Amino acid sequence: MSHVELDHLAALALDPADADPGVRRHVESCEECSALLAALSDVRRLAGAAPLVPAPARVREQVLAHVREPSTGDAEGAGGVPEPLPISGRGGSTAPGKRRGIPLWVAGLAAAVALLAGLGIGRMAGGGTEEAPEAVDPGTVVAAADLTALDSDASRGEASAVRTDDVVTVRVSASDLGDQAGVHEVWLINVDGERMVSIGLLASGDDGEFEIPMGLIEEGYRIVDISVEPDDGDPTHSGVSLARGELA
Amino acid sequence: MSRTAFPTRRPQRYGGAVVTGAREFEDGQDDVLSVASRLVAGDEAALEEIYDRWSALVHTFALRALQDAHDAEDVTQQVFVAAWRSRHTLTPSPAALPAWLIGIARHKVADVRAARARDAQRVAAVASLPDAPGAAGQQSDDQGVAERLVVRQAVDELADPRRTILFLAFWEERSHTEIAETVGLPLGTVKSHVRRGLIQLHQTLEGVRRESR
Repeated sequence: MSHVELDHLAALALDPADADPGVRRHVESCEECSALLAALSDVRRLAGAAPLVPAPARVREQVLAHVREPSTGDAEGAGGVPEPLPISGRGGSTAPGKRRGIPLWVAGLAAAVALLAGLGIGRMAGGGTEEAPEAVDPGTVVAAADLTALDSDASRGEASAVRTDDVVTVRVSASDLGDQAGVHEVWLINVDGERMVSIGLLASGDDGEFEIPMGLIEEGYRIVDISVEPDDGDPTHSGVSLARGELA
Repeated sequence: MSRTAFPTRRPQRYGGAVVTGAREFEDGQDDVLSVASRLVAGDEAALEEIYDRWSALVHTFALRALQDAHDAEDVTQQVFVAAWRSRHTLTPSPAALPAWLIGIARHKVADVRAARARDAQRVAAVASLPDAPGAAGQQSDDQGVAERLVVRQAVDELADPRRTILFLAFWEERSHTEIAETVGLPLGTVKSHVRRGLIQLHQTLEGVRRESR
């Protein structure tokens, strides 16, 4: 017998006596359906909470007053562009805290990265749609990358770098990142396979723009990496990369 | 710094079985997605909308968890200010927004409890007080409270007649036959509303649970 329809499970959860014997037999022998039945019964038990209690109006005023004051600590969100994480001294020896730690997996990936980079360039030469990265006039595309999965060559979208003076805007247009729970964070991995820096989060869908200093690109931070980050407060890379490609 | 200093992570927790069945996307979900995206983009009006829709949930949660009106107000204010300041950490999705707010609220509640515990210790001036008595139990109680409130809000937001039918069925424990008489709909229609409503509540709750992991 195929699985029981949700509607029948709901009926069973609401009134066991009312249910079709065939449905009940299936549920008894099917782990998936019995788990779903348990979840539905659980919801029925959770129903019954007293009405929500609105907060006094003054709380709303206070929240808005806090938000509107041109305060410290809120500059990062202006314009919706994620703030580039502190990068000064990232490659040196003075950066504080555990962000300095270099994940073992990054070092171990150096060889794989080099291989991927080669593949990426090959694909570009083979008819990529981005413009050739010759000119360095303000506002032009100076580099582009095809993003692919790590365990296959499946396409995961593309990234480009647009330069304006000494600022590079990295545009990421990812696709098929899957539905693992968590936020998608964008990193630049140095081609030396030893260093990396977070440049922000894909806040809205799979597309995002991130401003970075040109110096980073020149230092070799050219491999765009998209990770999925669980909400655990750990600022380091989760080790789960969904897409990667080298800006070239 | 040597590489061995790299902090180890807990094992991956995502990718677990997600049982949702055929999902019914209600109109409200698009609205949530849109208001969440606008918040991330820095739109203050979006924060106001989010406050208006979820502040009662956050406030009630804080009230139940802390049993103090003043602390609950403080927490509610802190949650929405914190939500604004860390809005770029939110990935917009219908369930992510309430899950995110509840997550922030739980942290703020924990902060208040920690402060209370410190005060209590100071007052008691006893060296051997056990650490945070019952913290684990409190945590799971909090989750139960939060989930009941999420369900309550989900029912509040249903369209009639389903909303009224579910209140009569689940809150007033009325029989389907009584409900059919009260609302003037055929028994079969009432039963169908109750079943579909239960499934909707389940899906809302699953979404919030999934995003809270």
